[in-house]
Amino acid sequence: MGAMERETETIPKLLRKRAQEHGRRKIAMRKKDYGIWNEYSWQEVYDHVRWVAYGLLSLGFEKGDKITILGDNDPEWYWAEWAAQCLGGAAVGVYIDCVPSEVKFYLEHSDSTFVFARDQEQVDKVLEIHEQVPGVKRVIYWDPRGLWFYDHPSVMDLKDLEALGRKHAQDHPELLDDLISLGREEDIAAFCYTSGTTGLPKGAMLTHRNLLYAVKALWQYNAFLTTDNYLSYISPAWVTEQMLGLAGGVLVPFVVHFPEKPETVQKDLRDIAPDIIFYGARLWESLASTIQVKMTDSTPLKIFFYRVASALSHNRLKAREKGQRVNVALRLLHQLADFVVFRPLRDRIGLARCKVGYTAGAAISPDMMRLFHAIGINIKNLYGSTEASVVSLHKDGDIRYETVGVPFEGCDVRVSEDGEILVRNDGVFVGYYKNPEATERALRGGYYHTGDAGVRDKGHLIYFDRVDEMIQLSGGKKFSPQFIEIRLLFSPYIKDAMVFGGEDRPFVTAILNMDFDNVGKWAEKNKLAYTTYMDLSQKKEVRGLLAGIVKELNSVLPEYTRIKAFVSLHKEFDPDEAEMTRTRKLKRKPIEERYRDILSAMDEQKDSVRVESKVVYRDGKVGTVKTQVFVNTLSDNGGRGR
Amino acid sequence: MSEDEIHLIVDQLSISFGGLMALSNVHFELRKGEILGIIGPNGAGKTCLLNCISGFYRPQWGEILFKGRNLVKVAPHVIPNLGISRTFQNVELYTGLSTLDNLLAARHMFIDYGVGSALFHFGRAKREEIKHRRIVEDIIKLLEIEDIRDHTVGSLPYGLRKRVELGRALVQEPEVLLLDEPMAGMNVEEKEDMARFIIDVNELKGTSIILIEHDMGVVMDITERIIVLDFGNKIAEGIAGDIQKDAKVIKAYLGKT
Repeated sequence: MGAMERETETIPKLLRKRAQEHGRRKIAMRKKDYGIWNEYSWQEVYDHVRWVAYGLLSLGFEKGDKITILGDNDPEWYWAEWAAQCLGGAAVGVYIDCVPSEVKFYLEHSDSTFVFARDQEQVDKVLEIHEQVPGVKRVIYWDPRGLWFYDHPSVMDLKDLEALGRKHAQDHPELLDDLISLGREEDIAAFCYTSGTTGLPKGAMLTHRNLLYAVKALWQYNAFLTTDNYLSYISPAWVTEQMLGLAGGVLVPFVVHFPEKPETVQKDLRDIAPDIIFYGARLWESLASTIQVKMTDSTPLKIFFYRVASALSHNRLKAREKGQRVNVALRLLHQLADFVVFRPLRDRIGLARCKVGYTAGAAISPDMMRLFHAIGINIKNLYGSTEASVVSLHKDGDIRYETVGVPFEGCDVRVSEDGEILVRNDGVFVGYYKNPEATERALRGGYYHTGDAGVRDKGHLIYFDRVDEMIQLSGGKKFSPQFIEIRLLFSPYIKDAMVFGGEDRPFVTAILNMDFDNVGKWAEKNKLAYTTYMDLSQKKEVRGLLAGIVKELNSVLPEYTRIKAFVSLHKEFDPDEAEMTRTRKLKRKPIEERYRDILSAMDEQKDSVRVESKVVYRDGKVGTVKTQVFVNTLSDNGGRGR
Repeated sequence: MSEDEIHLIVDQLSISFGGLMALSNVHFELRKGEILGIIGPNGAGKTCLLNCISGFYRPQWGEILFKGRNLVKVAPHVIPNLGISRTFQNVELYTGLSTLDNLLAARHMFIDYGVGSALFHFGRAKREEIKHRRIVEDIIKLLEIEDIRDHTVGSLPYGLRKRVELGRALVQEPEVLLLDEPMAGMNVEEKEDMARFIIDVNELKGTSIILIEHDMGVVMDITERIIVLDFGNKIAEGIAGDIQKDAKVIKAYLGKT
């Protein structure tokens, strides 16, 4: 038994071990509440998990049952999930902005028997569809606000569940311990639904081994310490938080911090100054554009210092990239620049102590990576997926901006004949729930088929795009629209971009979403009056601004992928209108479908196109908005830009 | 209606400014735990009535009875101590202080420690400050203004300032809350939020509320009873549905029909 015990490692076993090792002497979590950071020791966390677990047991939870959790990042989410895992169950995370019909899908598809819903808003969603999901026994909330007078028989307060659990624990003091010991690393610990850029979401089943693998792999390249502060900020409905926060939290263990509210994250981040931060590529992008805009808005003296320091730092980076020695004078100057400019800047954005910043989700442009390295943030590309955990990462001192790093040791990566990246490691999932065909397709030949197009290059892995997204142009050459989109997004004035091209299109075109805040500021500075997003987006001056950005990008692109025409769209892409996923990835097909008129107007190089679009108002009424969208055509000498 | 259900009585209240009769013989009762709406055209005397209750104006005739005391004789700075707090039509906050400090300042009336202990901030002073902060943080949470806790009030948009002002009244832990047009100048979303906060306060803390508001939709939605004033006279009293049909009310609002 002893040998078996050591081999099979589960999250609840690690949690129990932490409680035994550290008890009340070490802090496991901090949650900001009442304006102060409240601490939970390992013993306290373990107690809560035990009570929730016993509570669930007393209400009939059985091994293999699933719980669904709808909420923000709170200690309660962690307790509920760990409690279910103690009992041999699994947790299903759901994003808080899901609508009731989506919640119904997750509850039904996952066969959840208990729902943990943060507050009134989430409880109401579940109650709306409660009749249609008879399998759900209880809806448990942890923020009682507004729920004081609910008397629905299945709705209950987490505190009451814990009270039930405490009683049950007295009657069966050894039971939970035994159940935890029965856990095996190949037990399913969590379902992560893939965001579903195509079709219905699929529930990837992840085992304890899968979840624990990620942090173990990252450990190869970065030394994690038990004193490291981690901010739980990404939704645990996403696999990343499952791996870093929920698994890493007990494995390393990190001190996990929970922000007061989603709105206070920026401030809370500054309070904690985390040692490790994971942002999606999107967030790094918006952070970069915030830094750029704020710096241009600053006082002349500060702008001057920032410019000088940036130039210095970029020179130093360039020298390093070329493998040259950085001379002593430059090194000293850089240290001075770091002290005067970059350190305060890093503090401002809450990354004063950041040892490593991971980025993933989408490719990030080399220019932006350089920007962060220049201000002293060690940002690294991390490549992975829900189904295959982490695959590759940049090593310190071996950072090539165009790659997604070097595969981890023990991670077998191949590129198939048709250019698809295949992965075999301890993180590869066991299958999609209730979908054997998709499982079979994804795991054929013993490798996980990522669906990503890429190539190996001197140990590094280069990622192009999704295999399905690589597009054949009319000239016969293949191109990646995403490659261009990412570069467009590096401008602070562009929030979203979708690039079109293909065999049936004469040339490459683009639909741009301007960044309302930044373009608005720009308009104010240039004394340009405007009213709404729609109005501003069609202003001649704004279209000129965007044309300048596109021209500059065209100058570095190969001839055949240059953007010949673009529109500044009259509205922002919106997840509520199915134009992007909840993680804000644009959905190509729906957008292509919806804006067919605009696309053909660009192909035919018309001057403008009339657009009619439906809008749903807050009170449910549907109206139509008519507007004229201008097509901006760029001449062939796009190379003039620089 | 039994005697103990009544929280506050305004009895035959009259006040005039020179020859102008701002309120004449106004009489009504506020029941415990209710939200009472006061509506009326501009210049009907609504704010004047709140000013009388909160001690800002001294009525010439009549009584305001609260917990067996006649408030007409009580100084305005004492009234919050008795359990009546108010907000103002035009926000009256310390614009140079943060949200947190504005709320803490409103608790000055509960300060119970001496200068000596305040100077060194130990023992009683420290304990009490922690207690005050806890109560203030409770209200911050209730009104969902955690993210502007440290913002200077002067830098906040109007809708949020109104919310901070409500917060300032609430940290005094009133039994009766007087709200003077809490939703004036707000957009629909802000109004919805404010309405929810008012209902939350009423349900959670059992606070009796007198609400002056111009937005009829809001008044009809969240109040149990409504009083209508016109040129200083009470012309109607009743539940929302009846008030909408009342001939005198229609006339006051729409002119002669």
